[in-house]
Amino acid sequence: MYDIIFRGQKKVELIESIRFEGLSFSYDNERPVFDNLTFDVPMGLNIYITGSGGAGLSTFLKLLGVLIQPQTGRVVINGRDTSEMSFEEFLPYRSKMGYSFDFGGLFANRTLHDNLILPLLYHKVCSMDEAHEQAKNLAVDFGFERQAQQRPALVSGGLRKLICVLRAFIMQPQMMIMDDPFTWIGMDASRKVVRMIQERREAGGLKHVFLTSRDEVWPHWLGCDFLFIEQGKPRFEERKGAA
Amino acid sequence: MFWLADITSMETPSNHSHSFAYRQFSHAQHFFWAQVDALGRNITDSVSYTFKVFLMVYLSLRAAIYDQSQGLRTVLGVIGSQIYFTGWQAMPLITVLALATGGIIILQSSMQLSLLGGASMLGNLLIVVIVREVGPLVTALIVIARSGTAVASEIGNMRVNREIEALESMGINPLSYIVFPRIVGGVVSVLCLAFFFNVIALTGGFLVTRVIHDMTFQFFAASLAEAMTLEDVGLFFLKNGFSGLIIFVVGCHQGLLVQQSSHEVPQVTTKAVVNAIIYVTGFNLTITTLFYLNQILRLGLF
Repeated sequence: MYDIIFRGQKKVELIESIRFEGLSFSYDNERPVFDNLTFDVPMGLNIYITGSGGAGLSTFLKLLGVLIQPQTGRVVINGRDTSEMSFEEFLPYRSKMGYSFDFGGLFANRTLHDNLILPLLYHKVCSMDEAHEQAKNLAVDFGFERQAQQRPALVSGGLRKLICVLRAFIMQPQMMIMDDPFTWIGMDASRKVVRMIQERREAGGLKHVFLTSRDEVWPHWLGCDFLFIEQGKPRFEERKGAA
Repeated sequence: MFWLADITSMETPSNHSHSFAYRQFSHAQHFFWAQVDALGRNITDSVSYTFKVFLMVYLSLRAAIYDQSQGLRTVLGVIGSQIYFTGWQAMPLITVLALATGGIIILQSSMQLSLLGGASMLGNLLIVVIVREVGPLVTALIVIARSGTAVASEIGNMRVNREIEALESMGINPLSYIVFPRIVGGVVSVLCLAFFFNVIALTGGFLVTRVIHDMTFQFFAASLAEAMTLEDVGLFFLKNGFSGLIIFVVGCHQGLLVQQSSHEVPQVTTKAVVNAIIYVTGFNLTITTLFYLNQILRLGLF
């Protein structure tokens, strides 16, 4: 696992808890997606976040990944209020999170290979040779060696999505937040992503997984518990047959 | 604004009990206060926008200093490509405009000066018109048209494509990775382009002058050297440096204002152009006014 520590900051060993406190969020004066929500996010599990369209699944993931801040209330990680932290102060936590978007997110002026190695090289967490090696291995494993030097505009939407998912994994995060990762990437790649999650969990690096998915097959394969979001209220439910 | 409505409603009771003339007066009163209200809102919005623009300069500088991960190589790479696009690729256009501008100014002014017997004042006139006033303004307008629009639309499209969010999710600060190098590259480019503009405009001016007056280069160069002061150098850096800064900060700021949709990109691009022109011309006018007021005070004429 790679750590990025801002000067004077303590190293964060583990993301142990995430809590939403009195959180309200709305887009451009529209009806609030979440209104005065207080919720302890279940940790240490594979969680499939589900609900009807427009229920705020992607918004929930963004709040979880602290990519957006609520209008009122706060997101508290390990007892620390994230709204009071600067970008640099949040970096140790950020480096423990991997985030993949439901669409977009790749840099149009970089090749797929360069998109993959960007976080590794930027944060200088490994040598350039190691970064290239990691990206090449992923290209071989997922079968896109021929397209690796193409820019995103020249490859299929499915491959773009896959690269976005793999880039979230490349920093070896402790917590994965994936917004609809399996749509368009194909059966074979989906199976490999599921296997990658399982392997990293077994190895002990990956602790928390949060995902949305149009297809319930993959969350089922991952043995996900459920987090239903209905009318701005999340409700946790363990999967049937779980111990 | 409720308090305005309250005041007017207190002074104008029910319309039914008043004459037609009173109602007309009442409508005029409402119209007047609505205009005052709109003017006040415009001023507040402009002040708030200006504050945000300058805040962005500070935040991007702070982010660049605090960002320990971003290597010099990454920053220099983006600065280099910005200078290449903004500076190098704009040179043909600047050359044509500088030659034309220099030629026209010299042609017009030398004829007038000759009639008045003041051909020796040519150097002073060129420094005042080209170096102090026209050079900074024309260079800024070209950079706004070419690069200000490009930066605003590029960053706007990055927002739509979620590249900015992706940077944040990877722990890369967009202010230090995207904004700061563009501002630095922009300022350097505008300074270089303005210098290039002045050189070409003065050369063009000399060629035109020579055709008309048969003036020697030695005389022309000596006239320019005599007219050039240290204050002109200061004005050159102040005006062009600020233009470069403001064009790119406004472009980046407008680009980052895009929320989700690609239809916002042309809107923010247009606004970036308009705002940059207003800021640049306003600043140039202010500096020129202050400069001449200072000269008048120094000469004891005021």
